[in-house]
Amino acid sequence: MTQKYANHYIAQIKNLAKCYGDVRAVDDISFQVCRGEVFGMLGPNGAGKTTTVEIIDGLRTADSGEVTVLGMDVKRVPGRIKEKIGIQLQSPSLLPLLSLEETLSLFASFYKRSLPIDYLLDILALKESRKVFVKNLSGGQQQRLSVAMALVNDPEIAFLDEPSTGLDPQARRGLWDVIEDMRRKGKTVFLTTHYMEEAERLCDRIVVVDHGKIIATGSPSELISRYFKERAIRFSVNPTPTKEILKEFPGVIEVAIDGEDVLIYSDQIPATMSAILGYAEETNLTEQLKDLHVRQATLEDVFLKLTGRKIRE
Amino acid sequence: MRTFIKLLLSDLKQFYRDRTALFFTFAFPLLFMMVFGLAFSDDNGMSYEIGLVDEDRSPASEQISTVLKQVSIFNVEQVDSLDQELVRLKKGYIRGVVVIPAGAQANIAMGKASSITVYYDPSQSTSSSIILSTLNQIVNQINQQLTNQPVLIQVEEQSVQTHDLRYIDYLVPGILAMSILFLGLFGSLTMVERREKKVLKRFGATPVGRTKLLASQVVYRLILAIIQAFLIIVLASLVFKVTVIGSWFELFGIILLGTLAFISIGYFVVVRARTVEGAMPIIQLVQFPMLFLSGIFFPVEMMPTFMRPVVNALPLTYVADALRQIMVQGVPLNPMWLNVAVLGAWLVVCVTLAIRFFKWE
Repeated sequence: MTQKYANHYIAQIKNLAKCYGDVRAVDDISFQVCRGEVFGMLGPNGAGKTTTVEIIDGLRTADSGEVTVLGMDVKRVPGRIKEKIGIQLQSPSLLPLLSLEETLSLFASFYKRSLPIDYLLDILALKESRKVFVKNLSGGQQQRLSVAMALVNDPEIAFLDEPSTGLDPQARRGLWDVIEDMRRKGKTVFLTTHYMEEAERLCDRIVVVDHGKIIATGSPSELISRYFKERAIRFSVNPTPTKEILKEFPGVIEVAIDGEDVLIYSDQIPATMSAILGYAEETNLTEQLKDLHVRQATLEDVFLKLTGRKIRE
Repeated sequence: MRTFIKLLLSDLKQFYRDRTALFFTFAFPLLFMMVFGLAFSDDNGMSYEIGLVDEDRSPASEQISTVLKQVSIFNVEQVDSLDQELVRLKKGYIRGVVVIPAGAQANIAMGKASSITVYYDPSQSTSSSIILSTLNQIVNQINQQLTNQPVLIQVEEQSVQTHDLRYIDYLVPGILAMSILFLGLFGSLTMVERREKKVLKRFGATPVGRTKLLASQVVYRLILAIIQAFLIIVLASLVFKVTVIGSWFELFGIILLGTLAFISIGYFVVVRARTVEGAMPIIQLVQFPMLFLSGIFFPVEMMPTFMRPVVNALPLTYVADALRQIMVQGVPLNPMWLNVAVLGAWLVVCVTLAIRFFKWE
């Protein structure tokens, strides 16, 4: 491996596996994270995301496989790696009687290099609650504190495990700004999420995991175009035609009916559309046809197609 | 060093903000000492309420009354009705009734024997025996004076103690030992709690070393131990006039050594516990026998001899003995070097075992 190649990847994961009893939490997965990108790991709860991240962080040991972060083997030099990476754990409880500010300042003292506390409080909109004891923080504030703690050492790569869980929409957009800002500064972000919207908006590349295995890799748009050349047509009508009738329409690949709502995946949008309109005219349902629109497939659709499940079940 | 100080200050800040911890660490031992000290402080300087019925009403009986009233441990009240006094005696308001019978002076003048009657409550055995022997002494003296017999043999009292040891003098070092026990043993609970709540895991994600985390906890406990001991000693000297006779340097040396030993014992006994709920009963199980069998509240001599091996096995025995020797120069149970050696051994063994078996995650 050449030096240039090694530098290109900030983290390399090869044949990683971890079992808990009979459960294969992580089942032989390999991927690379490039320097300066926002990398997303997408999957439902229990897919093995957290286990994978914690092995890369050096917080857990793998049963087998190799993990290199910043060119170092996480098993051998975790201390030196920890100086340069930022870790956000899923809902860790901290020292309840320290204030938010004191907590950040304590964690800053663990590192040789750290960002100013005021800056962190500012970007995560925590300035007003700086004096509040950790035990009195709201769920969203605690979540933002845990992100701030991951960034306190100005890390080369930040591992954020479901950072937007429990945040209100405004705080979530604030968090996205922080992540995009890191990318602008050339930092790397490793993100796990089950919010499709978040992954589509932020991630340069994603891996989709389910049952401990990677089932797809690529950029969000690559994945969508790879798995959905077709787009989705939506409308509602009463009474709804049967699936069998709809499947006979030109270009139709898949049909889903939920009450009055109809979802049709099609790879020939104009042909399918005119068939729908023709059918409505024939059956005198033109008046009943509402909300007819075409939309781009999303990662949600990709996930549904790959796993047969919605992501948050 | 910056990290260590930050950690230490964080622990101290949190302690200061935790009212429950504040109470149990500082106020509780002080309250304990006040309650025990006041409840049992009657032994010395105590006076017994005595009723006196003078049926003779003569110059001679007057003289006897005067002598009785001068006895320092008697608080004599002269009354007329014997019956009323006997009721008060039975109810426990007074400890004895002395009756000088009519005709006492006449009998003495004729050289005939005359008797003074004492009523007492045998269920109050301690006070009764003190009262009876004191009265006998006084009557003997009066007899000697009346018969003009020379005093040939006298008892001279010589205490082996260089000063009078009161119960409170015994108690205060015991309270000190007890608070060291609590402070040390319960120290490991913080770590168990932080492990259980994944705080240690979060620390583990940073470059901070475990040695620093542990060292700051230990130093934090030692600081509390010093403050706590200081408060106990100050209050003891203000309220009970207990003074430190030996060297302060040695006293705090033992306090620190004892705290360290109990911290390490605390860590060792919870190595298998996963949760605070699981660790708590183990610590209480360790602490309970020590509270009662280490001579904290009453001397080890009061326990049956077959208990002595148990007593000698408990580390708190050595802390209490060492503190007592230094503070009030009480009767030594063990030579000082043995106290220090036993505590040192407990410390070394438990630290080794705790380091070997304590699970961080």
